[in-house]
Amino acid sequence: MNPTAIGVRRRIYYLFIFLAVILFLLILRLGWVHLVQGEELYQMALDNRMRDVPVEAKRGTLYDRHHKELALSISSDALYAIPPEVRQSGKEQQIAQELARILGMEEAVVLEKITRNSRHEWIKLKVPPEQVEEIKRLRFKGIDFAEKSQRFYPKDNLAAHVLGISGIDNTGLEGIDKSYDSELSGTPGRIVIEYDAGGREIPQAMHMYIPPKDGHSLVLTIDETIQYIVERELEKLYQARQPKAATIIVMDPSTGEILALACRPDFNPNDYNHYPAVNRRNVAISNAYEPGSVFKIITAAAGLEEGVVRPDTPFYCSGGLPVGKHTIHCANYRAHGSQRFADVVANSCNVGFSSLGLNMGVNSFYKYVRAFGFGQKSNIPLPGEALGILVPQSQARDIHLATMAMGQANAVTPIQMLTAVCAVANGGNLMQPQLVRTVLNVHGEVIQESSPQVVRRVIAQKTSEELRLLLEEVVANGTGKNAQVEGYRVAGKTGTAQKPAPGGGYLTDEFVASFVGFAPAEQPQIAVLVLIDAPQGYPYYGGLVAAPVFSAVVKDTLRYLGVPYELPVQNSSVEVPAGEKSIEKKITVP
Amino acid sequence: MIFNRKLLKNLDLAFIITVVVVLIMGLLILSSATLNVNTDQWFFVKKQILWIIIGLFSLFVVLLFDYGVLFRYTRYIYAFNIILLLAVLLVGSTAKGAQLWLSLGPLGGQPSELAKVMVIITFAAFLTKRQDRMERLRDLLPAFLHIGIPVFLILLQPDLGTSLVFFAIMFGMLYVAGARSSLLLKLLGAGLLLIIAALVGHVKFGLPLPLEDYQIRRLIVFIDPYMDGRGGRGAGWHVIQSLVAIGSGGFWGKGLFNGTQVQGNFLPEHHTDFIFSVVGEELGFLGASLLLGLYFVLLYRVLQIAFKSRDQFGTLIAVGVASMWGFHILQNVGMSIGIMPITGIPLPFLSYGGSSMLANLISVGLLLNISLRREKILF
Repeated sequence: MNPTAIGVRRRIYYLFIFLAVILFLLILRLGWVHLVQGEELYQMALDNRMRDVPVEAKRGTLYDRHHKELALSISSDALYAIPPEVRQSGKEQQIAQELARILGMEEAVVLEKITRNSRHEWIKLKVPPEQVEEIKRLRFKGIDFAEKSQRFYPKDNLAAHVLGISGIDNTGLEGIDKSYDSELSGTPGRIVIEYDAGGREIPQAMHMYIPPKDGHSLVLTIDETIQYIVERELEKLYQARQPKAATIIVMDPSTGEILALACRPDFNPNDYNHYPAVNRRNVAISNAYEPGSVFKIITAAAGLEEGVVRPDTPFYCSGGLPVGKHTIHCANYRAHGSQRFADVVANSCNVGFSSLGLNMGVNSFYKYVRAFGFGQKSNIPLPGEALGILVPQSQARDIHLATMAMGQANAVTPIQMLTAVCAVANGGNLMQPQLVRTVLNVHGEVIQESSPQVVRRVIAQKTSEELRLLLEEVVANGTGKNAQVEGYRVAGKTGTAQKPAPGGGYLTDEFVASFVGFAPAEQPQIAVLVLIDAPQGYPYYGGLVAAPVFSAVVKDTLRYLGVPYELPVQNSSVEVPAGEKSIEKKITVP
Repeated sequence: MIFNRKLLKNLDLAFIITVVVVLIMGLLILSSATLNVNTDQWFFVKKQILWIIIGLFSLFVVLLFDYGVLFRYTRYIYAFNIILLLAVLLVGSTAKGAQLWLSLGPLGGQPSELAKVMVIITFAAFLTKRQDRMERLRDLLPAFLHIGIPVFLILLQPDLGTSLVFFAIMFGMLYVAGARSSLLLKLLGAGLLLIIAALVGHVKFGLPLPLEDYQIRRLIVFIDPYMDGRGGRGAGWHVIQSLVAIGSGGFWGKGLFNGTQVQGNFLPEHHTDFIFSVVGEELGFLGASLLLGLYFVLLYRVLQIAFKSRDQFGTLIAVGVASMWGFHILQNVGMSIGIMPITGIPLPFLSYGGSSMLANLISVGLLLNISLRREKILF
């Protein structure tokens, strides 16, 4: 018989149960950590030891509508250091000295970078090939290159405000490059390197290369040739008149596609840092101006559509129209006398339009202002679009209505104005302005295609037709004579807007000269807006400054597009290449 | 020579096999855990094997005499124990903020590890003599004093973890020796309350504690390892990395030598205090629970030996060893999986460390001794 007492035995048994329970609880907890939290903790273990050196995807190319390259990506080599390896090699001084010599950098700066307390450090981006060769030959430990792609805009300033810019980190900063960044940027690849707790790359450890997926390319609606014509004319004007800003937009009224968009001042996106930031402002969409007389197109459209006025409705202009305490005057205090509405449009008669606005009433007028897209973004796919400013409808009194009808008091962006005029030109549909025709994948296959989008019908076909005739008359016989283009019927409207002074009232020495129109008037192929903010010197009238530019743009563009002449042409020296015809012409000219 | 060949028929083979399997597993894990620690890949493994040999030698020495002899020498053992612990305080060297190392030629060791075994022996004798006086708190005061003196010396080093082991040993042995359970529970509860009160007092009111700052911080980050003031990169780092190591092992583990947390040195102290995390990462849930299963068999056999011991002295020694190992396992594994605060006490037979290995193998010797001599030898 074992002398151990019964009580002791029982207690040993309980102690055993106690220890067994503890072990069981440990296993339970172990199972929880291993099997339930395992997934999450595995990820943490990965994060612990994996460091990525990003390998950037090539940004997609931006093409014009005929697949000419406007922006592309080229690769460059970026030099980086893995500081723990550099420190481990013990040659920091020598490495810094050599690199500084080759790269032309400060030795102290290089030394600071390659010994910094981090796992990965960029030393210099865009290293020229011969320097890359030289550095690679030296085989420094912890010093290596990664390919970085860099945006290149082969046409420099051309369409800079549309294309935008993209930074060295492969992100679009402005323009299409920004608004379509997710399509263009692709998916970056990585060089995954396994590190230990001290940040040292493990020699035999996993090195994984995950190749980048290059970005999609975009075919823009921009036509390089038209863009070129526009840039040329705008530059000429900009040099001659040195305005604060200027823009020309060319749009296809039937589809809403932007064929060209140029702004001044401009910049070279390859070298954007060397330009003042204001040069990068896209005047066409970011600036809101009081439109002046070009807005009378909208008033006329509203009046005709509402049936308040007919082209032959008689008007009388005494040169002034009292509205409350104020009096509306026509330009230069002229009195147009008795006239039909068609003449009111052709003469850009302020008194006529103000009384038309008053006749229409606040509600009808605002209905059309909104329907034509004013006060709202046009949703052109570019960043930084302004809304424009409308006098709030609830606060609009007669004087507001009278001035808004002739294009004052409200502020609109150039793109809003042109889009609205396109609705007049195309038979009454407000189109969504478009900049991208198709999205192409890496293999050049179309993966997304845009089609014209009607935002809403604004006016009836009949109204559109009537108004086109009235606007054609403006160019043929009215204030817009300088916009005439030989061989084509052109419709349009001039504008010379005063600029609001900061303290109220209007500036007396700064004007916004503009012209908006379309051609051919019967079946418009293009709608063009020319806007010049504060041209230097005299004349500053839209009819004298903007209309000739419009004419030049339309003339070359229609010819380039091969739009047949509608009217007999007297001088076709450019169009006719062979000598025979021109001789014939010369003979026919008396 | 007291040893008799006839004793061998009482040899507890299951116990021996379990110890051998755990030892082999320990060496395998250690060889993986120390792969990237020293320039000589086998430095730690070689030293560990050397200590195992020393331990086995000591084990056989322990087997040669009847453990009953120790009963007569408890006074000397106790005195020797105290002298060793005093020596550490006076001439020992410092490692990681605590003075617990005593250099004896090239090997050197931590006397506090051996102190545990010596205290088990002396306390077993102490309790055997006082078998009938265990009912009241007053009866227990001499027992507290017996344990309290070495614990006090160890706390001075300071080595919080090891002193906690003494309390575990004391409670286990008192319980089996017949102390009133309700009394022990009250004491346990009071002790825990006292520790919590002391910690709260220290943090909130600046109460001075005989602990180093890092030890207190470890106790605090036990509540939330990310609350170490450095977002998990300070005192909470150990726990977080240990959990990451274990959890990322999954069911099957990453394979021996393939644990990224271990080999990348993300897991600190992975060959000593956190060796269990290496098991968890490289051998997965399967390997880790297998190890815990082996420990279960081990503790089962130890208590079986206690059960069958021929006398109270042997029973209490075995219970003391079971309590010691049980607490080591609970504490070490528990901190690795985040359910116990971090105190650096080794995992029996696995953690790298000579003194601990020696003490554990001597304990094995004692247990085998008790097991072999469980019956009167019939001539």
